[in-house]
This record gives sequence, C-alpha cells and structure tokens, in this order.
Amino acid sequence: MYFNKNLLWVKVLSWRCALGCCCMHTNMAEPMELLCWGGDWDLPSVHSDSLIVLAYAKFSGAKLAVKSIDWTWRTITASVPQLHYEGSTVTEPAQILNFLRKQAEMKLYIQLYLLSATKSKMTPTCQKKIKTRITELEKGSPPCRFNADYELTAKQGADTMAYIALLEEKLRPALLHTFWVDAENYVNLTRPWFTSHSPFPLNFFVPGRQASLALSRILLTKAESPLLNITEVEGKIYSEAKECLNLLSHRLGNFHFFFGDTPTSLDAFVFGHIAPLIKAPLPSGQLQKHLNQLDNLCQFCNTILKNYFTDASAEKRMDCSLTAPHDPVDANLQKLTQLVNKESNLIEKMDDNLRSSPQHRHETKPSARASERNSPLLSKH
Amino acid sequence: MSLAAEAFVSQIAAAEPWPENATLYQPLKEDQILLSDSASSLAVQTFLRMCGLPVLVSCRANAEYMSPSGKVPFIQVGNQVVSELGPIVQFTKAKGHSLSDGLDDVQRAEMKAYMELVNNMLLTAELYIQWCDDYTATEISRPRYSSPYSWPLNHILAYQKQWEVRRKMNVIGWSGKSLEQVYEDVSQCCQALSQRLGTQPYFFNKQPTELDALVFGHLFTILTTQLTNDELAEKVKSYTNLLSFCHRIEHTYFKEQDRESQSGSSRHSKGSLP
Repeated sequence: MYFNKNLLWVKVLSWRCALGCCCMHTNMAEPMELLCWGGDWDLPSVHSDSLIVLAYAKFSGAKLAVKSIDWTWRTITASVPQLHYEGSTVTEPAQILNFLRKQAEMKLYIQLYLLSATKSKMTPTCQKKIKTRITELEKGSPPCRFNADYELTAKQGADTMAYIALLEEKLRPALLHTFWVDAENYVNLTRPWFTSHSPFPLNFFVPGRQASLALSRILLTKAESPLLNITEVEGKIYSEAKECLNLLSHRLGNFHFFFGDTPTSLDAFVFGHIAPLIKAPLPSGQLQKHLNQLDNLCQFCNTILKNYFTDASAEKRMDCSLTAPHDPVDANLQKLTQLVNKESNLIEKMDDNLRSSPQHRHETKPSARASERNSPLLSKH
Repeated sequence: MSLAAEAFVSQIAAAEPWPENATLYQPLKEDQILLSDSASSLAVQTFLRMCGLPVLVSCRANAEYMSPSGKVPFIQVGNQVVSELGPIVQFTKAKGHSLSDGLDDVQRAEMKAYMELVNNMLLTAELYIQWCDDYTATEISRPRYSSPYSWPLNHILAYQKQWEVRRKMNVIGWSGKSLEQVYEDVSQCCQALSQRLGTQPYFFNKQPTELDALVFGHLFTILTTQLTNDELAEKVKSYTNLLSFCHRIEHTYFKEQDRESQSGSSRHSKGSLP
C-alpha cells in the first residue's frame, strides 16, 4: 500500500513540477504580477514599500511581472505594493515577502523530494517529513515568518525581526515627514512628482491624501496626546531617525550585506527605506545630509542598485538563479546539494525526534520495508 | 519635551543624587489598571530595582492625566517628572546609573532594536486585544478604565480612550488584522526573543539590561493577568526559556514583593507565576 501511494505521489509531483517549471520558463501561464509606483531618480520605484518587494524579488531570483500604477485609476484605489498570483492578492511588503519565500520553498521541497525518490539517498521518514511540509505549504498554513530565510540561523532571523521593527518605529516617521510633511520638499518635489504621475482628475487628490495620511500617522504614533502639534514632534523624530541610521551603520560595519555575503530580507527592508532618501533630489534634507555622511550605508545602496537593478548584471545572474530556463538540472543540482546538506541536518534532527516519539514507532517499520522495494521500481521511471 | 528642554533637564538631573522618596505613579492596581499599562509599569519598576534605586509605588486614579506625556508610568524624582521607560533610562543615566555601559556599539544597536520589537509587537498587540476586540473591551477594558468615575463621565472617558486607540491602530495598519493574526504576531515575537535569549541567563549574557526589564515586564504581566481567554498566556508559555527567564528575574528582584502580594491577590491579577 505504501509503495503504491509513494509512486503515485512522485508521478503527481513530477507532473506538477514540470508544469510549474514550464510556467516559470515560458511565462505562458500566469506569472506573478506586482503593482507598484513607477521609478525615477535612478531607482526602480520611488515608493519605499515597493522598493522592498522589488529588491527581495531580485535577491531571491523570483520572476515578477512589474506593472506600474502610474497614470491609472489605481493610484487612488490600490494599496501599493500588491502581488497578484493565480487569483489571489497579497498586500503589505512583509506578507508579499513571505509569499515569495513560500513559493521558493515549495519548489525547493518538490525538487528535493523528486531527487530523493529517484536517488534514494534519504530515509523514508525524511521523505515523509518533506511530503508533510509540501502539503503544509500548499494549504498556506505556515504564517509570516522572517526567520524562514533558509540561509540564516535562528538568531539571525530574530535579529531580522528586531531590526525591521527598529526601522518601522524610528526611521519611517522621519521619512514620511521628509517627503510628505516638510513644506519645502512637499511643494517642490513630492507633490509635483505624484501629480505628474497620476491621471487627470486624480492628480488633485492623490498627493493631498498621501500627505494627510502621513501626517496623521506621525501625530498619532509619536506626538504626546494632549498636544498633537507637529513642530514639537519634529525635533524628536529627526533625532531618533539619525540615531537609527547610526545604529544601522554600526551594525553593517564593513560588510557588503547585513548577514555576510548574500542579501536577505533585512537588506531588502533597509534598502527600501534608505534608497529614496539617498537618491531623491530633496531641497531641504537634513536627514539626507546625515545619511550621506554614513559612507557604508551609501555604499550598500549603490552596490545593490549596481548588482541587481541594471540590465547587464541581471542577465549575468539569470544563469545561476534557481529559475533558469536553460540547464535546469545542473544549476539546480548544485544549489540543491548545498541546501540538502543543510536541510538534511534539520531533517535528521526532526528524524530523531520522530523516531523517539512513541506513536511513530510502528509506522516506520512497514514503510522501511516498502522503500527497499521502491527504489528499484522507481529507477526504471 | 523639546530637545533643548530635555538637555536642560538632564543637566539638572546630573547635579543631584537619587533621593529616597522617588515615587512611581500608576493607575489603581486592583480596579483600574489595564494589561498594557501594568506591563509598562512593571518594566520600569524592574529596571529601577536592577539599578538598585529605591522607588515607592503610588497608585492614583488620575495617573494618566498627571503624566507629562499622557502615558503611564511616570516617576517623580525631586523636582523632575519623567514618564515612559525610554526617557527614564536616559534620566537615570544622567544621574550616573546605567545598565548598558558595558555594551559595545553593535550590541547597543541590537538592544535598541529588540526593545523596539517588543514595543512594536507586544505592546501594540496588548493594546489591540484590550481595545479593538469588542468582547474584551466590553467585559474588561471599559469597565476597568472608567471604574473611578461616576456616570456619565465613565462612559465618555472609556469611549474616548477606545476611539483614540482604534485610530492609532488604523493608522499603523493593525485594524485590518484578526485576533488570530495578532496572537500569531505575539507568538512570532516571543519566538524571536526566545531565539535571541537561547540558554543565557540574560539577553546580553551575564548582566541584565533595560531590555531584560522590558521583556520581563510584558511577559510577566501577560502570564499573570486573567483576560477573557487564556490564549495569549498559552502562546508565551510554549517558550520554556522565556518562562524560566521570568521566574529567574522574579526570584532575584521581587522576592519580598512576592511574599506580600500572595496574601492579597486580586481577581484580575493572579499574583505570581504559575
């Protein structure tokens, strides 16, 4: 019974994987579509949240069809950024990142399972664990977790969450103030830009609405409630933002990215927040001046722009990304062997736990016998 | 307070030593105080105990209105009044008592980041559960918040506070979340804290810092406060190293208070850890 089930499962998976690969490669079926604000000032988008998602998509090699909402009615109706895939919609950068990660993880697990089934390097309990994980991912049950970047340790995942909270609390109010509340910047830069990128009757409403949202956010979260006066809060939010930038600079040090040599979701978040501040031609930017003094953060931003957002480097990277159209087996196999070593440690641990729990003890015996019959049969397929 | 006023106050603060009659003001413990205020107040008390500074706890019905920033708790030291943990930490630093001097820049950055994580997730989740969940708001928060006042003031104040909190939740994007999502966020936050703590006694190895005080304040209050259901406490209990962390701090810094509070524990607070 067990080997029949396994066989069927492998067939279904390989069919699904092939179809998935086909979709990814030829883009004939629905690719993932991202709605975001358009780009300017050397950036792919002027909106912080959209930049976060775009950066993470580049880091993880996910293929996104980017659709800008400029000059459409979506400037006032849509909450940007927004990801559309197979009828479902995801908003908020954190949720979108989680979704992309889940897709990548699912693909990885399916390929792992297929490899393990054909090459029979893993024990049946490992395979069972992979299978449960795939069904879990399909059902969408694992919730938003930042520490699911599989290259990060648990502590680094926790640090990611903490630094993102720091960014949101300390830096974002000052960014909102710089772009939307500071009179000089708003009148000379932000409002003209957004007005020129919105369709006819909306250009009167869009900037004003964003500005009032920004102001209310700053006042409600930072101002002391009996007073609610913006001038008193300004000093406080700018000093907190400068402190936050200093802290980020200390943490980054001389490294290229926050956790070693490969970029992760924290790098995407930091990039999304500081890139507009570095690149926008702000008339009055005390925070910008402060940021320009922090060389390593400017360097960080420029490195990401150069390596991930110019066309020449994008083609070079496609050859070694997971979703490469040509040479799927070799490139995948290389990356997978690296990850299998990491994963198998995890899976071995889970395996031990599983073996020690009483309810699974008699389940392992019949499947062990079944897998011995499995491999010669499967290798024919 | 503006920056110039803050600098002035800290200069004055540096001049005098810590007096014996420093007082901490919070809402009434038995009837009025809510989960989030209780957590913040406990965090400040823990911090001051860790610094070895004596402080008297005084419960007043109008503590929130006496506070310079509208938030409780606040401390009165000599001629100065300082509210909220952040400014209090700076104030005690100006007086020469600090827990985080031994940390280098990177560690200090981490500590601040984790404190923001607790404020961003745990405190906001507590506020959400108290005021945006209709059942809890009707059964617990509104009656407790307005208990010292007579009709019609109690209704007006309770609804005003609820409206304020809901506006804030709207602006930061939490109003669209369901209760399950909020519990899940709390769980993630606890997981991050648990992973950071690991097997160490405190977050930054041997010495407690303000981060330990803050985390203890929130977790202890969540574990010992009775809400409409126990789900929040269950989420925290599933992380054993956080539980032992709370026990450890409770035994180290709150031994005497523990003995006193066990004799007179209220309906709302369960007194000591299970």
